[in-house]
Amino acid sequence: MGKKELKVAFFLAWRSLVRGNRSSLFLNVLIISMVFTNMIFFPALMNGIGQDVTKTVVDYQISNILIEPKQGNAYITDLGTTLDLINGMPGVERATPQYTMGATLKFRGRVLGSTVYAIQPREEEYVSPLYMTMVGGSYLGENDKGEMIIGASVAGSPNVLEADEYSPSLGGVRVGDSVTVEYANGFTSDYRVKGIFSTGKFEVDDRVLTSWDDMQGVTGTAGDKASYITVKVKPGYSDQFVKDELLQYGVMDKVQTSSEVLDKSLGRNLASFSIIGFISLLVSLVIAVVVLFIVIMIKTLNNRRQIGILKAIGVDQTVIMNSYGFQVIILSATGILLGFVFTGLLVLYMTIYPMVTPTFSATPYVTFSDLATNGLILFIASVIAGYLPAWKVARENIQDVMRG
Amino acid sequence: MIRTQGLRKVYRMGNVEVRALDGVDIEIGKGEFVGIMGPSGSGKSTLLHMLGLLDTPTGGDIFIDGTDVSRLTDYEKTMFRLYKLGYVFQDYALVPELTVMENVALPAMLRADRTEQQYKAATVDILSKIGLCDRRTHLQGELSGGQQQRVAVARAIVNKPDILFADEPCANLDTENSRMVLNLFKEINREMQQTIVMVSHEEWHKEYFDRIIRLRDGKIVNGEK
Ligand SMILES: Nc1ncnc2c1ncn2[C@@H]1O[C@H](COP(=O)(O)OP(=O)(O)OP(=O)(O)O)[C@@H](O)[C@H]1O
Ligand SMILES: [Mg+2]
Repeated sequence: MGKKELKVAFFLAWRSLVRGNRSSLFLNVLIISMVFTNMIFFPALMNGIGQDVTKTVVDYQISNILIEPKQGNAYITDLGTTLDLINGMPGVERATPQYTMGATLKFRGRVLGSTVYAIQPREEEYVSPLYMTMVGGSYLGENDKGEMIIGASVAGSPNVLEADEYSPSLGGVRVGDSVTVEYANGFTSDYRVKGIFSTGKFEVDDRVLTSWDDMQGVTGTAGDKASYITVKVKPGYSDQFVKDELLQYGVMDKVQTSSEVLDKSLGRNLASFSIIGFISLLVSLVIAVVVLFIVIMIKTLNNRRQIGILKAIGVDQTVIMNSYGFQVIILSATGILLGFVFTGLLVLYMTIYPMVTPTFSATPYVTFSDLATNGLILFIASVIAGYLPAWKVARENIQDVMRG
Repeated sequence: MIRTQGLRKVYRMGNVEVRALDGVDIEIGKGEFVGIMGPSGSGKSTLLHMLGLLDTPTGGDIFIDGTDVSRLTDYEKTMFRLYKLGYVFQDYALVPELTVMENVALPAMLRADRTEQQYKAATVDILSKIGLCDRRTHLQGELSGGQQQRVAVARAIVNKPDILFADEPCANLDTENSRMVLNLFKEINREMQQTIVMVSHEEWHKEYFDRIIRLRDGKIVNGEK
């Protein structure tokens, strides 16, 4: 196949596309672009959701590394020394403890089962951006006692009927209101709501937070133990590196990186997402392959006599085959490019107007490698689907094809 | 130029054997304008296809310019057709998506021994000769039947083939257009010593032929003139 032959094959392909049926050309390109968009979009959306859920969990719940009590223990003891040890390690931005206790909240006839999280407010600011999500009142102070901050879902709204609530709430608590808290250990006290925060994530906004000092009054202990410790890792260090370091330094408690925690809790969901994604990818590909196969098959069948004539006047069968091949290449390349544009527009739209739910907000997350891989897969599949019928007709006997 | 010996072609359809060619010996010299005539079904097209390497015989030999063409591979046959043979078909057989100019130039574009300037010049040259130079940017659909067939003739001779084959090139044309095409054939036959083998069943075409090969039931009846 010399340069001349390729040139003629391309020439024939180009003429046939440009001077052939415009609307069928347009539809072919459109189908390929839709298939490409479909291939990219669903997995990208799943990916975006995954990223958003991960961000929520890391930012507000467990940070980069979660340290839990060792097997058989309810608390991490010897907290002061442990925190000092961890905070002194390279790669650790800050480690903060949390102490949780189940509680029943009561407000104007509403009763709500909840968990109270005691935090060290100043320290916590280094680890979690929660302090920046206050929508009313203010964040907890270091020595606040008898005061708490609550999430927007706990506060609720007086305008929403109890039956219509996404999650149970106290039915419209405002800053300054007094809420009665009955702790699981029997301790009961009234709290002033100092502030209300809203992250938009249900798992965070259903929390109630008090200060570390306050919790000491509830438990009646010196506060040298925690339910767990969250560790924020310095930029440039990997979670795994810090985890290994913690273990080497002799932290005896259960240490997990955020991705290990997520794998356990989300792993199953993500696995079923990826199966759905794979099936959707497969279906898209099959559609593209079948469409192109049929398009080229119809073209070659309609042009059988012409193919015979071309062979008769000395056009080699590889030139003919490649002329159809080039048509598929042009069709699928244009379709994929148009698909890039569609995907781009969709991503842009969903970035501006993300799909927001109480557990995640989904913005499709597209990587260049996704675009490249899927584009390549679609391209290769299309070209094979197009070449096959062309190859079949092009190598037939001249007499057979000329007779039509 | 062309010589056949005991050329046979048998079509088998189930149990029925059709002897389309049944032992044909012919010899056609350089520069001859030969007509192949005979009743329908007598094997005229079959003979032309064998001579033009568009089909393979069941038996017998064909020599073109001293080459035993049965020894050529498929690819070599294609190249043989590209470099040495030209064809005109009954239904013009132009590529509808190509302009007049592009249709005529197509076989020349593939030749390794032609530059772009050369084949463009040759194409314009031939289009002027057939009087369609002003139509060179038109598509097939914008031409009359006679014009289309003249374009097909131009395509067939753009490579200056050794032999020009034509299978009933006037079958779809009225008398006036038929005469135009036949005159064109006669002209290139005279001026360029172009060897032409043409199938026809119109008796009045006889006046254009140097010689006639008559077929009946796959056999040569006689050679006239
Ligand atoms: N592919 C084929 N399969 C079977 N029989 C065929 C085939 N091609 C031709 N024949 C038979 O061979 C014989 C010769 O056919 P051919 O086409 O050469 O005739 P022809 O002289 O060109 O006739 P016409 O003037 O009608 O074009 C006919 O009987 C025809 O039916
Ligand atoms: Mg015939």
